[in-house]
Amino acid sequence: MKIQLKNSIAPLGALKKIFEHPKTLCYPEVKAQNVTGYRGFHINDLSTCIGCANCQDVCMNEAIDMIAIDVDKNPKNNSGCIPRIDYGRCCWCSLCTDVCPPDSLKLESECIWADDDSNRFLYLPKDKPC
Amino acid sequence: MERKTITIFHGPQHPGITGNMSVELELTGETITKARTHVGYLHRGFEKLIERRTVIQAFTIVCRICVPEPDPNEANFALAVEQLAGIEVSEKATYIRVMVLEMARLAAQLLWMAGQSGSVGLGTVGQWSIYDRDLILDLFEALTGGRVYHMYIYPGGVRRELPEGFLERLGALLDYLQKRLVEYDRLFFDNASFQKRAIGVGVVKSEEALHLGYVGQVLRGCGLKRDVRRDNPYFNYAALEFDIPTQSGGDVFARALVRRAEMRESIKILRQVIAQMPTEGAIMQKLPKHRKFTLPKEDTYVAVESARGEFGYYMAGDGSEMIRRMQVKGPSLIHGFTLLESLLVGEELSNVALIMNSLGICPPEIER
Amino acid sequence: MQNLMQHFEIIQKTPTLYALHVSIETLFNTLHHLRYQSDFITLSQLTCTDWIEEERFELGYMLTNLERNCNLMVKCFIGRDDVTVASVVTLFPQAEVMERELHEMFGVGFEGNDTLYDFALEDWQDLPPMRREFDTLAYVQSHYDFRDGRDDNLDVKEQIKIRKAAAKSAKEAQGGA
Ligand code: SF4
Ligand code: SF4
Repeated sequence: MKIQLKNSIAPLGALKKIFEHPKTLCYPEVKAQNVTGYRGFHINDLSTCIGCANCQDVCMNEAIDMIAIDVDKNPKNNSGCIPRIDYGRCCWCSLCTDVCPPDSLKLESECIWADDDSNRFLYLPKDKPC
Repeated sequence: MERKTITIFHGPQHPGITGNMSVELELTGETITKARTHVGYLHRGFEKLIERRTVIQAFTIVCRICVPEPDPNEANFALAVEQLAGIEVSEKATYIRVMVLEMARLAAQLLWMAGQSGSVGLGTVGQWSIYDRDLILDLFEALTGGRVYHMYIYPGGVRRELPEGFLERLGALLDYLQKRLVEYDRLFFDNASFQKRAIGVGVVKSEEALHLGYVGQVLRGCGLKRDVRRDNPYFNYAALEFDIPTQSGGDVFARALVRRAEMRESIKILRQVIAQMPTEGAIMQKLPKHRKFTLPKEDTYVAVESARGEFGYYMAGDGSEMIRRMQVKGPSLIHGFTLLESLLVGEELSNVALIMNSLGICPPEIER
Repeated sequence: MQNLMQHFEIIQKTPTLYALHVSIETLFNTLHHLRYQSDFITLSQLTCTDWIEEERFELGYMLTNLERNCNLMVKCFIGRDDVTVASVVTLFPQAEVMERELHEMFGVGFEGNDTLYDFALEDWQDLPPMRREFDTLAYVQSHYDFRDGRDDNLDVKEQIKIRKAAAKSAKEAQGGA
């Protein structure tokens, strides 16, 4: 196959992109929109969580600890425990939300958390109805 | 004058290497006289971990076996479990699966384009194609909730319904990409500086290609029409119309042209999927005893065509909830050792990155 | 395929997947026959499964035909300790690295393959890690630290019991008063 002169010149056509608006966002002034359905942080509706630890059982990364609840919000919560998630281990597979019997555990689209100490990444899901 | 031979390590920390692996090269001047591949920088023990997990727990790990294109792994895993347990998947779920796989193929080809152009010093192509890949990832984000690791194709179906207006968004993106592909032709595939570097480099001999087990573009680049989607159809590829592009050169450039044509085929398949997608129907067949799901004492082998060639899984159940053995066969094991070690001999040092990118070698699936 | 089925006891698993069990003595000759007298000229995967309760490994040679539309799995049971199998690198050069991997991960020896050096693990002295008696959890616990601050994890079953007992005694106390 012979290489033609045209093939050396045609790529220069890319130069016209100089006049286009940049595709990147000016973070932090402009932020990317949260996407509905994105698998971000966990939320747990404490008024329906029954403390059954199904979520802890299914999590193969052993990211979930069941810890004692401060204020009982659900009289049906037999164990008085709610899940807390270690975000150093979680892979956001959302299996825990799949197996939650009352569907109280969910993922929200919020997903930004920066910290300088990885040991602080223990997250108590926000109490939000879904 | 006596020539001196020196030994150098190309990688694991080298921008021209594909992932965390290294090639030990013996050089005389600029010419390679011997090459030896080393892996082990990325061994995560997935196959071992899977032995201690139940089926649905193992599901979340398989996509991590291949970073640039995780979905063939999920598809393989789902196929193998369904075959062992005798689960039927609904038509709608099958269509969604094909859609996800083809979108993933497009994304992987765009990522490959960035690597391949980077290896000849054409940085602009990479910036364009990574942006276009991001547009596909945006769609994945809306569909599955994850950008790179989707964890979406589940044994028994897929995990989520199509969001409102998804197919229209996909159609619009395909129109956009179709236009872009012409620009890519101009900037990259027809670019004299790429052709000059790629033609006649890394020539694979077609006589040995089948026997030595090469797959994907390596085969199709030397004129052998092999594609799992055609030869051994899974999901509903048998009902879809698409061509299998081939080239006869066997060199880096031939493989690039095969990939260029494959992107167009993927767009064609996706358009058919959009047109034929059933509106009704379940997307998920519930696994019996979901969390305590058991596999019979049987084994099987399944394969799908990933963006780089045949990707196969061997899976053996033992009658318990765990999987007894799951062994991954990615395209890179043979390409990265048998092929690469022989292909590099006699090449210039500067062509190593070029050849590795064009073979699509990816260490995560070599060592799992 | 028909021809082969007369020669060997081949079982059909799916329309495109066949399996054949052979003994360790006839393994090499069978593979040799298939390589040169049949369509199955490609070795695409070499698998090994540990059936520890039956005290044996199962080797699987996944052969693929010329058309790449049919797979034949040639399987063979071998013992778990100090076994050596004849290497097939002379038939399939790509087996070199596959055998290297199995040698490292399971400790299976391959006679005739002199490249059985390190594959992915460097200077590994322990038990070959894919054998089932290798305990991953114990290995992790002896080599890595866990994150602090997670010791307030409670056993849910215990908590339910404690709560029930507390509720009961509270009730009794009420009843008594
Ligand atoms: S979040 Fe769901 S699964 Fe977890 S303890 Fe509460 S109810 Fe059970
Ligand atoms: S999302 Fe997955 S990894 Fe994270 S806590 Fe839930 S089950 Fe565990």
